[in-house]
Amino acid sequence: MQKNNSVIGQERIQKKLKQRYRAEKRFRRLGLFAVITALSFLAILLISISSKGYTAFQQTYIKLEIPLSHEILDVKNLANADYPGLVKASLRQMFPDVKGRRDKRKLYGLVSTGAAFELQDRIIEDPTLIGEKISMWVPASSDVDMFMKGQIPKNVSENERRIKDNEIEWIDWLQQEERIEKRFNTVFFTAGDSRDPELSGIRGALSGSIFTLFITLLLSFPIGAATAVYLEEFAPKNKWTDLIEVNINNLAAVPSIVFGLLGLAVFINFFGLPRSVPLVGGLVLTLMTLPTIIIAGRAALKAVPPSIREAALGVGASPMQTVLHHVLPLAMPGMLTGTIIGMAQALGETAPLLMIGMVAFIVDVPGSFTDPSTVLPVQIFLWADSPERGFMERTSAAIMVLLVFLITMNAVAIFLRKRFERRW
Amino acid sequence: MLKKTAALAAAAIIAVSAGTASAARDYINIVGSSTVYPFATVVAEQFGKTTHFKTPKIESTGSGGGMKLFCAGVGVEHPDITNASRRIKKSEFDKCQGNGVTDILEVKIGYDGIVLANSKKSSPMKLSRKDIFLALAKDIPDPSGAEKLIPNPHQTWHDVNPALPNIKIEVLGPPPTSGTRDAFVELVMEGGGKKIGWIKAMKKKDKKAYKRICHTVREDGAYIEAGENDNLIVQKLNANPNAIGIFGFSFLDQNSDVIQGSIVDGVEPTFEAIADGQYPVSRPLYFYAKKAHIGMVPGLSEYLNEFSSEKAWGEEGYLTDRGMIPMPDSERKQMRNDVKTLRNLEM
Amino acid sequence: MESIMDIEGATLADNISMTLEQQAMASDQEAIKKKTIVSREDRRTVGEIYTEDPRMTCRNVNVHYGDNHAIIDANIDIGRNEVLAMIGPSGCGKSTFLRCLNRMNDTVEGCRVTGEITLDGQDIHGKNIDVVPLRAQIGMVFQKPNPFPKSIFDNVAYGPKIHGLASNKSDLEEIVETSLQKAGLWEEVKDRLNLPGTGLSGGQQQRLCIARAIAVSPEVILMDEPCSALDPIATARIEELIAELRKQYSIVIVTHSMQQAARVSGRTAYFHLGDLIEVGETERVFTNPRHQLTEDYITGRFG
Ligand SMILES: Nc1ncnc2c1ncn2[C@@H]1O[C@H](COP(=O)(O)OP(=O)(O)OP(=O)(O)O)[C@@H](O)[C@H]1O
Ligand SMILES: [Mg+2]
Repeated sequence: MQKNNSVIGQERIQKKLKQRYRAEKRFRRLGLFAVITALSFLAILLISISSKGYTAFQQTYIKLEIPLSHEILDVKNLANADYPGLVKASLRQMFPDVKGRRDKRKLYGLVSTGAAFELQDRIIEDPTLIGEKISMWVPASSDVDMFMKGQIPKNVSENERRIKDNEIEWIDWLQQEERIEKRFNTVFFTAGDSRDPELSGIRGALSGSIFTLFITLLLSFPIGAATAVYLEEFAPKNKWTDLIEVNINNLAAVPSIVFGLLGLAVFINFFGLPRSVPLVGGLVLTLMTLPTIIIAGRAALKAVPPSIREAALGVGASPMQTVLHHVLPLAMPGMLTGTIIGMAQALGETAPLLMIGMVAFIVDVPGSFTDPSTVLPVQIFLWADSPERGFMERTSAAIMVLLVFLITMNAVAIFLRKRFERRW
Repeated sequence: MLKKTAALAAAAIIAVSAGTASAARDYINIVGSSTVYPFATVVAEQFGKTTHFKTPKIESTGSGGGMKLFCAGVGVEHPDITNASRRIKKSEFDKCQGNGVTDILEVKIGYDGIVLANSKKSSPMKLSRKDIFLALAKDIPDPSGAEKLIPNPHQTWHDVNPALPNIKIEVLGPPPTSGTRDAFVELVMEGGGKKIGWIKAMKKKDKKAYKRICHTVREDGAYIEAGENDNLIVQKLNANPNAIGIFGFSFLDQNSDVIQGSIVDGVEPTFEAIADGQYPVSRPLYFYAKKAHIGMVPGLSEYLNEFSSEKAWGEEGYLTDRGMIPMPDSERKQMRNDVKTLRNLEM
Repeated sequence: MESIMDIEGATLADNISMTLEQQAMASDQEAIKKKTIVSREDRRTVGEIYTEDPRMTCRNVNVHYGDNHAIIDANIDIGRNEVLAMIGPSGCGKSTFLRCLNRMNDTVEGCRVTGEITLDGQDIHGKNIDVVPLRAQIGMVFQKPNPFPKSIFDNVAYGPKIHGLASNKSDLEEIVETSLQKAGLWEEVKDRLNLPGTGLSGGQQQRLCIARAIAVSPEVILMDEPCSALDPIATARIEELIAELRKQYSIVIVTHSMQQAARVSGRTAYFHLGDLIEVGETERVFTNPRHQLTEDYITGRFG
């Protein structure tokens, strides 16, 4: 009887076993499918962005011969000399056949308006050049640049493209003479915003993001960690702390623009901080990221086994020492994860910054926390909204910079987390 | 230990910046219309690069939002200039006065054309404003001729006007928050509605009802709110050759290789046609400057000077390269004079 | 003195509830006289609760976990240089009672301790008592080994460091070495003091926890089943250690091994479902239990 029972039991187990393995396989396949789907979407995103954006890392330059005559350049008044005139004269010299106002205007349009500024900088830096004839590579205008990158097709009828037939002839000639070439686009990494695609750069927005996130991190991490520690380790559990907890959880779900309104009311209108500065941006983003950090921090603290606390208390550590020496280091990886999620959110945020004036055209690269500045996602938004075609590739390139920034930030966080991670 | 230092540093930063915040500002602070933004930014950049002043900061807040900030008061914490794609309203002017912003300089800078365009893959549309009204209004007059409204039944352009092609009505346009939308309903829709006798007559009798008829855009999917990003509309037009998009002239100008302007009331939306007023749908652009800030904020009068120079807003100026339609010579001269004499705005 | 109090206690309880049957064996005294045993239903403590020179005294200690009354009216003394063993079936409240002695239950959510517990005549719940040094005075080794996720050295050095017991590094090293030696772990770990304590085997971890507890030179040591994860050799070493430590300290040890209780302890307390049933000389309790429940337990009728 007993043996019978166990035989039946074994058979049942065998039967069930097959089912269990099947279920396991199904589940694994499902998981794999989910991972592959997610990865392929990510790949599509990255590929489409980088295929559109990589061209922005190159810029077309044109070589000009510019005679620097004493008549035009007065050493005493270099700031007010007619540099655009010099550039134009040089172009006319290169193409002496071009006549007529309209065509001349087109000719001048081959090079960027930035050419004159570069010339100016060069001469002011070295006034001894005056009297000589210098040759100089200057950025081509955005249309020429687009044409060189193949983004303006040659084979459509003339009135359907922004580069006309005679301009193509000039570009062909320049190419023959090896006076036009594509180079690495350093301007993109050294300049602030500009309305000319070929002169615009990401540095202003990048600095703005760095300043803003620095403030955010500096404030939100200590405050968030301290709040989490207090609520989790010290606060009595009563209806007040429950209320606080509910409120914090709610705050995490509040639309970010609300924090912008709050920041506008408190920091700008009440405390009188200036608009459009990273300091205020950082403060607003701190408000926004705090709930995330607090919630993640509390979860991390909860996950620390109570036996560690008992061990510390048992050898006579004070509650403060217990937390600082034992609990916090163990919760740190989790807290860092929460912080990095919060910071990544903050990095991608534009809505609250709109309210405090960080959605703005700012050319000068900010040098401090109180210089007007914008941030990477805002720059992306502004460029995406610009009519000039050249900004399309810059938009994608700016997204790439944002992603690299994000990856760097994550990498640092993972590195820190690895250092803190210990087994128990 | 680390945390303590961090907290101290944060406190120090806040204290220092709070201290310096209310001190002088060394850059011009400009807010306002997103339609003027692409033009004002060009002037600002030029100004920053050719003078020793800092480049002005320009926020795109919309005309109304800009007015609100501008009229909040006098002092470095308030903007110096606001851009607008319409004239200042009486209510806004009064608010300004109430807040001590009494001396305001009004400068009209040029015009912006509003165009309808479709993909170059299909043939250009020839529309009248009345066609557009009949295609996009929520309620239209009963076709039988009776003086009453029926919900817009038109599905294709052919339904609207037998001369038009038999394609579905699909118009991509800006949302109600946009200044372009305001201008569109005012200039195009109302302009079309007025062509119908009894609606025009209503303007005198019942202005509210008249406005409601003319300004209400249908919500059954024929008009698609495409967000504020005009580049996106251009891309969508490219993908859907039957659709028509509404946006500022500068976008047509920059994308003339993929889209074409629709002919409105027999006029093609070209630079010249808008400039001489033949093209019926264009609106003036303005900026308003706070006279009290001249001398307080470095470079402000120089900026006004730059904006009102021929090389900026003239017929051959760099703003026209960006698609802004210049004012006629006489108007420019007068505006230039207003800037020089800092003529006070009165309402 | 003792006996008077006992009798008083008994009569008091008698008055409250007493069946005819119980009356016959109600009092402890009578039980001894008649060589009979207190019945299972009677939950008053029998035996020698008090000692001559108590280090710690517990009076009317009650512990509640929310609605769960985990310790009911426990009275017991812990003598100087004495090893007290606590035995009893699983879940009877041994750990709970042990944790009352260094106020570890303060940290447990929803745990309420009432009654009076003194150390050297001072109420440990008193206003002027700081719980932090109290826990250094009354060290504890927990039921589950819980080393810090730090190096072996740091595990032992942590207590002395925060209490400032070592004036310099070599002092500290000495404390660590002697503590590990006393705990019988030194030979095994002396070459890998910088490796994490969590990388040791379960038994090694338990000895590390003992070393950690004695490194702060406590006056009373509470051990909750310190040998449950140890092999006989290590157990023997711990028992030697206990014998050694008894010279200086008072030790309370919870154990499930009656042999161990018999080997190491002077007195034994038997708990049953939250009641302290019987206390007495270890030998007496094991050879001549006075309570039916105690007898049931030590003869293996349950537990
Ligand atoms: N933290 C707690 N919260 C609620 N109830 C608890 C808690 N700790 C213990 N108890 C309860 O108190 C009673 C006594 O538990 P205790 O841990 O003291 O038993 P024990 O005698 O040590 O058992 P074991 O021999 O299994 O370790 C049990 O009923 C248990 O369920
Ligand atoms: Mg226990």
